[in-house]
Amino acid sequence: MSLLSLDGVSRVYATRRGLFGRPVPVRAVDHVSFSVAPGRTLGIVGESGCGKSTTGRVALGIERPSEGHVMFEGAPMPAPGTPGWRHMRARLQLVHQDPLGAMDRRLTVAAQVEEPLEIHGIGDKTERRDRVAALLRDVGLRADLAQRHPHELSGGQRQRAVLARALATDPALLVADEPVSALDVSIQAQVINMLTDLQEARGIAMLFISHDLKVVRQISHEVAVMYLGRVVEQGDPEAIFADPLHPYSRALVSAIPVPGPRRIERVVLTGDPPNPADRPSGCAFHPRCPVAVAACAQVVPELRHAADGRLVACHLVPEASLLKAA
Amino acid sequence: MSEQALPQAMVAAPPRQRAAIPFGVMLAISWLVFMVGVALLADVIRPYGITTMDLRARLQPPIGFGGDWLHPLGTDELGRDVFSRLVESIRMSLLIAFGATIIAAVFGTTMGFLAAHFRGWVEQAVLMLIDFQASMPFLILALSVLAFFGNSLPLFICLMGLYGWERHARISRGLAIAANAQGYAAAVRQLGAQPMRIYMKHVLPNIASTLIVAATLSFPEVVLLESGLSFLGLGVQPPMTSLGNMVGYGREYITRAPWILLSPSVVIVLTTLSVSILGDWLRDRLDPTLT
Amino acid sequence: MLRFVATRLGRALLTITLVVTFAFIVLRLSGDPALIIMSPDAPPEALAAFREAWGLDEPIWLQYLKYFTAILQGELGQSFRDGRPAIELVAERIPATLMLTLPALALKVGLGIPAGMYAALHRNSMTDRVVMTFAVAGFTVPSFVLGLLLVLVFAVQLGWLPSGGQDGWRSVILPVIAMGLGGAGVLARFTRSAMLEVLGQPYIRTASAKGVPWGLVVRGHALPNAAIPTVTVVGFMVGSLMAGAVVVESVFSWPGVGRLMVVAVANRDLAVVQCILLLVSATMVTSNLIVDLLYGVLDPRLRGTAPAGGGH
Repeated sequence: MSLLSLDGVSRVYATRRGLFGRPVPVRAVDHVSFSVAPGRTLGIVGESGCGKSTTGRVALGIERPSEGHVMFEGAPMPAPGTPGWRHMRARLQLVHQDPLGAMDRRLTVAAQVEEPLEIHGIGDKTERRDRVAALLRDVGLRADLAQRHPHELSGGQRQRAVLARALATDPALLVADEPVSALDVSIQAQVINMLTDLQEARGIAMLFISHDLKVVRQISHEVAVMYLGRVVEQGDPEAIFADPLHPYSRALVSAIPVPGPRRIERVVLTGDPPNPADRPSGCAFHPRCPVAVAACAQVVPELRHAADGRLVACHLVPEASLLKAA
Repeated sequence: MSEQALPQAMVAAPPRQRAAIPFGVMLAISWLVFMVGVALLADVIRPYGITTMDLRARLQPPIGFGGDWLHPLGTDELGRDVFSRLVESIRMSLLIAFGATIIAAVFGTTMGFLAAHFRGWVEQAVLMLIDFQASMPFLILALSVLAFFGNSLPLFICLMGLYGWERHARISRGLAIAANAQGYAAAVRQLGAQPMRIYMKHVLPNIASTLIVAATLSFPEVVLLESGLSFLGLGVQPPMTSLGNMVGYGREYITRAPWILLSPSVVIVLTTLSVSILGDWLRDRLDPTLT
Repeated sequence: MLRFVATRLGRALLTITLVVTFAFIVLRLSGDPALIIMSPDAPPEALAAFREAWGLDEPIWLQYLKYFTAILQGELGQSFRDGRPAIELVAERIPATLMLTLPALALKVGLGIPAGMYAALHRNSMTDRVVMTFAVAGFTVPSFVLGLLLVLVFAVQLGWLPSGGQDGWRSVILPVIAMGLGGAGVLARFTRSAMLEVLGQPYIRTASAKGVPWGLVVRGHALPNAAIPTVTVVGFMVGSLMAGAVVVESVFSWPGVGRLMVVAVANRDLAVVQCILLLVSATMVTSNLIVDLLYGVLDPRLRGTAPAGGGH
């Protein structure tokens, strides 16, 4: 049974060109379906503007999907702001890119880590204090840092504090939206390791959103590649990185700097970066795709199973109709 | 798995800089403390009642100009002691100014939060009210309301309380929107907190310093407004007395007994000056880029 | 550009509508409008005729409509005290008020702006400090105190100028100073900080570094850019002119609209009060509109059309 499942979810924003222009619908997320099993990590990668952050927000229930459903622990996701939604916050939490912005600079770290316990009425004063101490230990923050204020910590320490706060209510799912993008590379590795350890220890499922493939590769059990609001490839990380099937995944993977001779030819994309307000017809990637054919401009490719069980949305990848779903 | 342990000294926060308070600001603060003290202890300090008349001692000049210690600041046309009336006026004017400033701050901040929280038409309505308030000179608005509704002290204080609310509303709306968009308010909402908790426990304490600075801007303006209205005879009504009130009365005797209007005038000017100086200094200290 | 003008105009009309609505609401809340606008001892037939004319028995939105149209036609009721139409009473006093407010505005602008600019250009010099001290005094000393002090010194002690009344060119001097000096102080302070901000901009340093003579830098670059926020503040001052007139005219017993307002409020002569309220708001709205349009002319950044592309 999956913990979180999105089924045909779309998120459409209505925007306007200029003050008197016609309203233009922007499909930030377009018919995305996936599920996350308990204790497993799904990584979502893509460029800026591909809709991965929006997908994360819809998955958490912060935004309502324009189409499709979001189910969490077998029940539909309540509307944001309702009491039901608030109660559910104890079960799923968000960690995002800017730890300094996510914390109140006037309160101490300890007070902020304790806050979710206060909000959901968990334990009494002493129990909460013990729990905060345990959480800080789990994320590797020294006890004396607890009385500091957020701006007195380093970036890595702050992110750990935010993580401690997110874990306070022992959630079943953690959505991490670019959690390490603002950190130094060496700290990134530490935080990623910590996340994997925590996942093993607590059995937390994770939705890990990032534009950084190296990081996603380390931590995910399954990876989905997004482009302009659609999932274009989804499957086992190692398989995708070793042999990307979708032309866009190919370009992404080929751009990862590797020492020594390259296994995959570097693909440099031409054309403009995608603009969700101005979607190309057919396959959204076709204007930049090095191997596009006529059909690509006319028909939107569906996600189909490829030879090794992966899901790929590309006209040029043959469907494996003989194999069972992964 | 713990972090590299850095030497304790490097990890400790830098000591806070304690800037010396400039002399002018010290003077301003002392004057204000003095004024508040006078207002609080008015009943004790005042040698006479404010309506006590001593008809044999009418229009007596103050000390140094021919008067005596019995009436250190002189008397008015009815023999009432100017010093006593001044003390009582200080209390009245400060009471009105504090009351009005607090009303404006609470009302304005609440409106600003409502606009920031609900957005949509609520926000548009609040913005329209703000624009309306800001586009009319408040004195004219106040005069109109006083004409239509007459004058009683509670109504008057509430009316003064409407002065400057739009300043607080603009500030709190702007800061609340900024906090809501991303950052700590959104994060706490994500934790499942009720909106009330978010505003009271997080947003308000963080914007308090800016609101306080705005209040120090309104305060002297309320004092000036109230004294102006009282001077015109439309504010605080007799037998109650306020600083503007006294100036209004003293006007009749400007040729014969200028001290009647000079002492309240001096108090008005020094008080508004002190609050302005204090406000300027606070604004420099609490500059958002520093905190 | 057209869109810019249109939105500003629309907002101006909206504000006037709001003021009229405000007056309507306040009028209804404070009692029977018939008794209020006409006097309490008007004959019952007159009251009944008034009620009919204003539709006081009809649904409230219809009353509002009639009220609105009445205002547009200049039908603002009659003064208690002498039964003349309020609008007449107000109109005949406007010239007297203008005789004070226009020179006062000239004083504020003519003294305040140059003082502020000079202070900015000679920052931290003795002159700067002196100007700033006067400027601060300008907004902490209320106009009525200033007026009374002026009377005390120049009329009572020195006897050079009259202490009140409208009586020849000499009687204009003290009221104008009382009204204008405070605003001059505020404007000086504001101009100084606007100038300082502009002078601190990189393009000023660049111009100076290119060898452009300082005077030309100031005139060609600093002044036009500092003019923009200054114009806005001057526009707002028009509103405070009216408020200043109320107080100063009372101090100097000057027979203008301000004095009329005070008397009308004291007597609860609501037709006159309403008339003045509408007059003042119309003036403010017009001046704000002019400032807004001027802003668009002065600041090229505002003139362009909105950029294409969706919202964030």
